[in-house]
Amino acid sequence: MKLSTNYIVRVLATGFVVLILLSIPLFWARLLCNVGLYLWMPYEIKSAAIEPSGLLPDNLENDPNIERHSRVSAKMEIEPLLPIGIIEYFESTSPGQSRSCLILSSSEKDWAYFDNKSGQFVFRYVETKIMPDSDKLKREVQYYIGPEGISELPDKTLGRFIEPIADNSEFKTSLWKSSKIILYDKKLRHFFAINLKDRNITKGPQLSEDDTHRPIDIGILNKNDDILDLYWMPPTINNQSIYSRKLRIHITERDPGYRPDRYILVLDKSGRIDLLDKETLEFAGPAGRLPTPATLFPTYKNATPDDLLAYRVLPVALKEDHKYRGLFAATVNWEGTALALAVFDANGVPIKSDQTWTSVRRGNRRTHSSRAVLFGFPGAPAITIGKFLLENLHPPILFLASYFTAGSFEAASGHRALFLLPNSFVAMKGRDARENIAARFLYALLLMSPSIVLAILLALRVSKDAAIVGLSRKTRRWWLFGTITFGLVGYITYRLTRPKITLVTCANCGKPRRPDTDICHRCGSKWDVPELIPPAWRVLNG
Amino acid sequence: MLTLIKREIRDHELFFIGSVILSAVLIGLSIATLDGHYWIELVTFDSPAGAIVLPIIIFGFFAMGAVQMNTDRIRKISAFISILSVSRNRILLAKIIAGLLAILIALVPLAVTVTILLRIHAPPIPIFYVMVLEIFSGTFLITLACYFIGLQAGWNSGRPIPAIVGLALTCILATLILIKGFTPEIIVILSLFIVASLIRTWHLFMSTPL
Amino acid sequence: MNDNVIKVENLVKYFDGRCVLDGINLTVPRGCIYGLLGRNGAGKTTIIRILLGLEPATRGRTSLLGTESTNLAPKIRGRIGCVAEGHNLIQNYKVERLIKLCKDLALQWNDESFGHLIETFRLPMDRRVKDLSMGMRAQLNLSLAMAIDPELLILDDPTLGLDTVARRQFLELAIEVIQKQDRTILFCSHILSDVERIAERIGILAAGKLVVDCPLEQLKNRVKKLRVIFSESVPANLYLTEIINQQIQGREMAITVANWNRQKQAILETFKPSSCTEIPMSLEDIFIECTRPNPQPVEIA
Repeated sequence: MKLSTNYIVRVLATGFVVLILLSIPLFWARLLCNVGLYLWMPYEIKSAAIEPSGLLPDNLENDPNIERHSRVSAKMEIEPLLPIGIIEYFESTSPGQSRSCLILSSSEKDWAYFDNKSGQFVFRYVETKIMPDSDKLKREVQYYIGPEGISELPDKTLGRFIEPIADNSEFKTSLWKSSKIILYDKKLRHFFAINLKDRNITKGPQLSEDDTHRPIDIGILNKNDDILDLYWMPPTINNQSIYSRKLRIHITERDPGYRPDRYILVLDKSGRIDLLDKETLEFAGPAGRLPTPATLFPTYKNATPDDLLAYRVLPVALKEDHKYRGLFAATVNWEGTALALAVFDANGVPIKSDQTWTSVRRGNRRTHSSRAVLFGFPGAPAITIGKFLLENLHPPILFLASYFTAGSFEAASGHRALFLLPNSFVAMKGRDARENIAARFLYALLLMSPSIVLAILLALRVSKDAAIVGLSRKTRRWWLFGTITFGLVGYITYRLTRPKITLVTCANCGKPRRPDTDICHRCGSKWDVPELIPPAWRVLNG
Repeated sequence: MLTLIKREIRDHELFFIGSVILSAVLIGLSIATLDGHYWIELVTFDSPAGAIVLPIIIFGFFAMGAVQMNTDRIRKISAFISILSVSRNRILLAKIIAGLLAILIALVPLAVTVTILLRIHAPPIPIFYVMVLEIFSGTFLITLACYFIGLQAGWNSGRPIPAIVGLALTCILATLILIKGFTPEIIVILSLFIVASLIRTWHLFMSTPL
Repeated sequence: MNDNVIKVENLVKYFDGRCVLDGINLTVPRGCIYGLLGRNGAGKTTIIRILLGLEPATRGRTSLLGTESTNLAPKIRGRIGCVAEGHNLIQNYKVERLIKLCKDLALQWNDESFGHLIETFRLPMDRRVKDLSMGMRAQLNLSLAMAIDPELLILDDPTLGLDTVARRQFLELAIEVIQKQDRTILFCSHILSDVERIAERIGILAAGKLVVDCPLEQLKNRVKKLRVIFSESVPANLYLTEIINQQIQGREMAITVANWNRQKQAILETFKPSSCTEIPMSLEDIFIECTRPNPQPVEIA
């Protein structure tokens, strides 16, 4: 039987339907395995701590009456529903989130958003003015803000922002109306400072094209902060923390009293953290970088924000002088199995760091949590093997594509991938920076071997059946190739599109033959229907 | 063509009435919920109503597709009509148009109402309208995809296993919304799925003896 | 314009590995009334369903009004009237609604003729089809088929369930159609007296083959049943070909032969039978002879 266009279209359509309907339950099965691993992950490999923190002045940290030094702790609590895209969809449309043009929504009356159409920010809020007679005058104001200025009316001469990112830290309090809002436009490569009180906008110097800075976030630097907790505790004395109105030490960046001095943090695409001078809108030097957590197949490259499932950065300043002292940074690896914590001083020099480790059962050897989670605890190996086998049910071609595209995904979205598997063991190997390309690829093929073996076995079955039903040699070859490439999907597609014909026994060769062909596709003999015995005579007219 | 569509609508008027009722109930709920103070909630979508309504819509239209085809097979309606001056293509197209209309009746008035309510109560922030468009597009496409599964399941008349399999596949496909959310990605995936399902349904309908 | 309204070429049909039609070749010219006969399960309805595109052929080609059955456009279908076996109408529709549906979908509709038929048959408009008797359904089906003024009328056992009077009315209607120029009828029925009344050409299916396909009058001339008495015993071998049936009782033999001609007559005469008389056969008799399952000579005690 020759291939017809209809047949090809039907096969492709069926194949696509099967791919989707098979990928979905495999996704849920893999998710179940991950949930099992996360739930059984012991506490010791979910947290890291550094004590003393290293950022307090000596007179505070080394006070003879100190009972306990200052401590910074990070803890990851992987949310089982993390891969659920619908939750991420709605959360990302909240103010300040990735998909949202809304940068503020504090009440019915106060809101601010970026209008893509005009390329300008729109701020609307209730402004309170104190009159000469001490009366407070409240009025609703709306401002349109572009790179060239601020106006109460829409005005094209204000210019257009193209791809702005704003510092949302100011919106945590109501003081944003009277303080500066820093933002950066990725395309214009300028920093801007918006001053709503004085109705002006200050533009910083443009970053040149060969400038390595590629800012992606300003101010509060965090990603998926609901799965990563980073907190800082001051030293304790007589069971009380050193806490006085004079020396108030701020615990988190969301502390309403936290007012940084002239610097804010800027996160670069490379994972480096820089200080930005709010007055001059120029970089004031490095502040540190996102620490690189361990992965199952270690990578030596510095972690970028896209490589991390979560990160959180906590700058430290004391109320007495609001002077920037340094920062703490915590990160969670792609797979959600390891956490790294680091402390950087005011000059961006790393002074302390910690990772999640555990002591496994064999000989008290310390193992990175990224390995321990998968193999080190009762039940974990079974779940890991189950996850591995589920991954191998995917079409080999997509599995292979996962290897080559391993670094192209953003970590959190990788957990929601349906067709490619950026969280698979093969993809992890693809991100392994240690070995040479050939060794890495061979290892990846080894990891894929169950998938390849299954695909070959299914392909042989398909080929045999296709011969029985009389498909042409060319068609059989295509099916063989398709099944090897797409594995189980190819096999199911074949079964669904296989010609639905009841074969009859050939009177000549005795093998099953198709009744819809003129000759037997096996022996080439012409048709004969032995069960029907028509009479020898005919009465026909011409 | 219009005659065939009218025939389909009349034969399955219960589903159309159900669509109208559902739409009316949802519009009422929206008006009650989305008054001036609650537009912020639309952004975070705290209401669990969506989690209840969406499965009703999805499984309801799966059932419509299954019933359309199943009654056709049992009563041999297409066998009769195809003898008249009508091609099988048109018979199938009429069924699909009827199904589409039912889905649009359920969703479009609600989408229009929500948009109007947002215009009245919410600030003119584009994200809301983008969200409304994305959510309704996603809902429309997933419903249509499950409707096509129903058409294919219902065509195997009299046997329970294809219906059960169809229902299971609908459950599986519906979870795609959970996995991907209402992102543009799901619109692409579902659009391709719908085209592929349409091809399969067309082939099934055209090649099966009536 | 193609003279062959119906064309069947090498039609083969298998159902689940069982062969029903094994290489049927059939043409029905324009204006012909073709009676297609066969025993139950011979494949008559199968041929009609394949012709109408309701069933795919396993092999071979069929065409109606010059168009392949698998590609019948609505315009072609609009010229074909069909009364299917079992009167497959939409059961839960009311008669009125069904009529409206057919009328709206038809390319042409003869209101006058249809109204006359409905009046004649006295069909109740407000009753559901499933509540009609078999005969009424047949009448409704026939009326719907005739209302479109069809160029080709396909009738698959149309008088099933009709009483004698209704059957006669139907036949008269069929004759009315015939009288219209260039109208063609393909007629399947088990009531051979009806077929004999109106058919011009006959086809008989047996064992998956079309064993008879010729004008009715020619059939009667070419299939002969003879009663032959021999002076001594019946010869073991008469050297006659195309024997349809043979029954022997002592010195007497009843033999049915296809394509009877002078040559066969001469061969028979060489055996010097005592007598040889022709037994006249109706179409029904011919049909029974032709569709006997076992054509071997039968000795009757």
